[in-house]
Amino acid sequence: MIVGKKLDIGKDLSKYNKINSFLNPQYVYVPLVSGSDKNITVVVKKGDYVYKGSIIGKSKGNFRIPIHSSVSGIVIDFIEKSYLDGSKVKCVKIENDFKEQVISKKEVVTKISKYSKEDFIKVLQTCGVIGMGGAGFPTYVKYNTDKKVDTLIVNAVECEPYITADYVLVQDKMEELLEVVDAVMEINGIKEGIIAIKKSNNELIKKFYNYLGTYPKIKVVGVNNIYPAGWERGLITKVKGVDYHKLPLEKGIVVNNVSTMLAIYEALKYHKPLVERIVTFTGEDLKEPQNILVKIGTLASDVIEHIGGTVKENYLLIAGGPMMGSEIDDKDLIITANCSCVLLKDLVSDNDIVNCMRCGKCTDVCPAHLSPVLIKDNLKNVKNIKKLKAKRCIECGLCSYICPSKIRLRELVIEAKKKMDSGVK
Amino acid sequence: MTKIIGPYIKSKNTTSKMMLNLILALLPIIVFTVYKNGFLPYQAGKIDLIHIFYPLLFILLPSLVSFIIETLYAIVFLKKRNKDIIRYIRNSYSFFPGLFLGLVLPINMPIWIVLLGAAVATISKMIFGGFGKNIFNPALIGYLFIFLLFSSYFQVDGGYLNKLEVDTISSSTPLTNAVLVEGIGDYDSLVKPYGSLINFFTGMIPGAVGETSALLCLLALIYLTITGAIKWRIPVVYILTVFFITSFIGNINDLGMWYPLFQILSGGLMFGAVFMATDPVTSPTTCQAQILYGLFLGILTVGIRYLTPFPEGVFISILVMNIFARVLDIVGSKAKFDFRVSLIPYLIAWALIIGLGFYIGNNYVKDASKVDANFKIISKETIGNKTTYIATQKGYVSDIKAEVIINNEKVISYKVLEQSESFYYKIYDSNYLDTLVNNQFSLNNVDTVSGATVTSTSLKKLLQNVLKDYDESDIPIIYDEEEKDFEIINIENNEDKIIYNVNKKSFGGYLQLRITFVHDVIEEITVVNQNDSYFGLVIDANYITTIIRNQQQLEEIDTVSGATISSQAIKDAITKTIEDYSGKQTINE
Ligand code: SF4
Ligand code: SF4
Repeated sequence: MIVGKKLDIGKDLSKYNKINSFLNPQYVYVPLVSGSDKNITVVVKKGDYVYKGSIIGKSKGNFRIPIHSSVSGIVIDFIEKSYLDGSKVKCVKIENDFKEQVISKKEVVTKISKYSKEDFIKVLQTCGVIGMGGAGFPTYVKYNTDKKVDTLIVNAVECEPYITADYVLVQDKMEELLEVVDAVMEINGIKEGIIAIKKSNNELIKKFYNYLGTYPKIKVVGVNNIYPAGWERGLITKVKGVDYHKLPLEKGIVVNNVSTMLAIYEALKYHKPLVERIVTFTGEDLKEPQNILVKIGTLASDVIEHIGGTVKENYLLIAGGPMMGSEIDDKDLIITANCSCVLLKDLVSDNDIVNCMRCGKCTDVCPAHLSPVLIKDNLKNVKNIKKLKAKRCIECGLCSYICPSKIRLRELVIEAKKKMDSGVK
Repeated sequence: MTKIIGPYIKSKNTTSKMMLNLILALLPIIVFTVYKNGFLPYQAGKIDLIHIFYPLLFILLPSLVSFIIETLYAIVFLKKRNKDIIRYIRNSYSFFPGLFLGLVLPINMPIWIVLLGAAVATISKMIFGGFGKNIFNPALIGYLFIFLLFSSYFQVDGGYLNKLEVDTISSSTPLTNAVLVEGIGDYDSLVKPYGSLINFFTGMIPGAVGETSALLCLLALIYLTITGAIKWRIPVVYILTVFFITSFIGNINDLGMWYPLFQILSGGLMFGAVFMATDPVTSPTTCQAQILYGLFLGILTVGIRYLTPFPEGVFISILVMNIFARVLDIVGSKAKFDFRVSLIPYLIAWALIIGLGFYIGNNYVKDASKVDANFKIISKETIGNKTTYIATQKGYVSDIKAEVIINNEKVISYKVLEQSESFYYKIYDSNYLDTLVNNQFSLNNVDTVSGATVTSTSLKKLLQNVLKDYDESDIPIIYDEEEKDFEIINIENNEDKIIYNVNKKSFGGYLQLRITFVHDVIEEITVVNQNDSYFGLVIDANYITTIIRNQQQLEEIDTVSGATISSQAIKDAITKTIEDYSGKQTINE
């Protein structure tokens, strides 16, 4: 059982609104980052003309993935902007010529299950498909293994409050989703496909049932409407009843987010690099919360302006959901493939924090089985926080959420984790 | 880096909401105590109108003391000013120690002691660093303080009994009564004096100001659990543990289900479990630790109730377990990763539960084998066959000093020399001492005096203890060969009157009677000499006249209750005399 909390809030702000698109920003700032890897070789220089889909950077690390331009136009600068984790990252600023020029049109593949495994992996790599759920890890790596994969789990749980990007995507692209799941299974010889979705999303589950006859190997599994039901480890325990040490692959399981699945679809079908995504722009401080298809590298503030602006002048800009997202101080957030949400909320003050009353709610709620209150008490004692296994924290934020004394426990546990790291050295 | 990191949404629950819920849950209890300890006695005419709200004052004044002291502390020691003071006051919930203290004390405790206790409670909290840091439940520290320094004040003025209960209920609190009851007790001795278990449930039994109503405590438990304001596992496990062990004990002793219910419904267990054991600051924070905490609280409470002289045990258990809260949390936090870590404490707990149930169930004999610590012999003097004891026994308020004279293994006199019991007049009015002496060979069957149960029980115990000592000390009995049970001293022949002077052994020695026969019929019986303590009863009952009237059917005459031995002796003496008389007449004819 996943420990968690029903936290079904903020979704209605954007859930039922029409999906819009904003594909013609004047400038894009394509960040030179791949997941957490910022060690990228730039292959363009100022003044170069790039096509939509041109490679502008290559990662040097173990998992090579190209960085594509999301528009056609001229490289005019290299400047720093904010990445979703709050850090600064070097970006290639491209002035859009609004022509959407591509290098060469590829043929549409009619039967995407016909790929060989090698070709499949190659396509994922060249199209730059990365995990769009958050980590931004290259997707091809998960399949590039000799280990037998038995199960593909498609994570459509989207348990973070406020975010509905995956929801609208499933709603909109259900046929494509099933097609690509089936194809990926066939290409990789995977026997079982599971689409995990919240039980409370009845309408989606019902819709799925209309198609399932066509895809007998794919199951839809409903999970409880709690946060963090979409946490990978918890999800696997829930649907498969197994736990793993480091990677799900140990148990023959691959987990992909729905958005990632649909990026795979576009890669297989149209050879389309990952240069756009649906992002939930939402929050009480936004005039018109919605899901919107945007180019990778678009400045979040441009999108906000495009969709009608904000209610207040002062607000918090958060990249990601309200639980795990981070506040972007300079409000110059760049949309990346792994950024599913931009949230605008009122500023919070911390003078509501009072003494810990030791109510134990934080320990009851922690899905990683930690005892945040004790970690807080032992913050000065690295030996003790090791014993309390602070490292296992998945940073879900539930402890901070639940605390009646409003103590920022997640922050403290993250601090404890850092101390453990430095303590180990 | 002071940047705020997420989450950016917070639950609506706040510490102050939880505290507010706590107060809401306490409200019915406070209303109830005003009803029970204020309104009902007023209605019965026992107290004045203005005293109706005394129970309220009794809990509000100590709350105020706690509040004032903590506020002063904030100003003087923490140097808080203006807005900060208000913020401090709002977040420290400083009135709770005094409030809880008021709720767990007897209504007749002098208020200055209560206020002193509240001050100590709050100071104890601040010594540990204020709200959130204290290890011990502050209210209970205040309680302990009063308990250690002013223990006698738990009994003054009726102690736990309010002014109405003093007159209507035949005892002190149920568990104090249970300590005095012989052995493990039975329904009649434990529950009956208070009506039925329903009264235990509703709270119409004597007890501390706010802790008698199990019903309201249970409702509070439900409310607080639903609103998430307390660690519900602790009271649930605690109460169930006490229930489990005592039903085990009850089972061994063939007592019904009422017995464990009696145990969980008395002694402030419900109140302590719901409100005191769950004090968030001083109880464990992890799930397994809370369950273990509840188990050990139950074990300790049962242990204290049965194996120590303290009747209740709830508060002491909680204070003791406060020490272990943080240790249990270490176990609890590890058990979250691997349940096996908590196996050993669980095994210990279960071993103790079964062991305790089994041991107490089989070996619990309160009096027979154990020396009564409340009994003391001051002097013992034997002259001839007469042994005079001066001894004391702890009574309701203080020690009762009494003189017991035993002659030839028989108590012939029992007199109270000193006492300061609140309701002694009831003992006096009911001739309780006489009843005891008259039933000295079956003391266990003697009922206590309603309205003075503790005192009467103590008096009974004193006598039992003296007799036990007498039996054990092998005082040699000088058998006087000459002493006969019945003896005809002489017979006077006076015209048509024949007068028998006889001696008959009775209660306090020889009873000398002068019996006059006229024409073969007893016409007059005169008591020439007697030493019996309760001979007055015989006279009052017109017993002699009854005997003269029914001299043909003597065996049908009942003895005088309260003076059984004396009256039996008279009857026997007359029977023997008639035997002798008719024997002589037959020979003459
Ligand atoms: S939830 Fe907050 S107040 Fe409760 S124990 Fe945890 S840190 Fe303390
Ligand atoms: S300690 Fe970490 S994993 Fe546990 S609730 Fe807090 S943020 Fe989530």
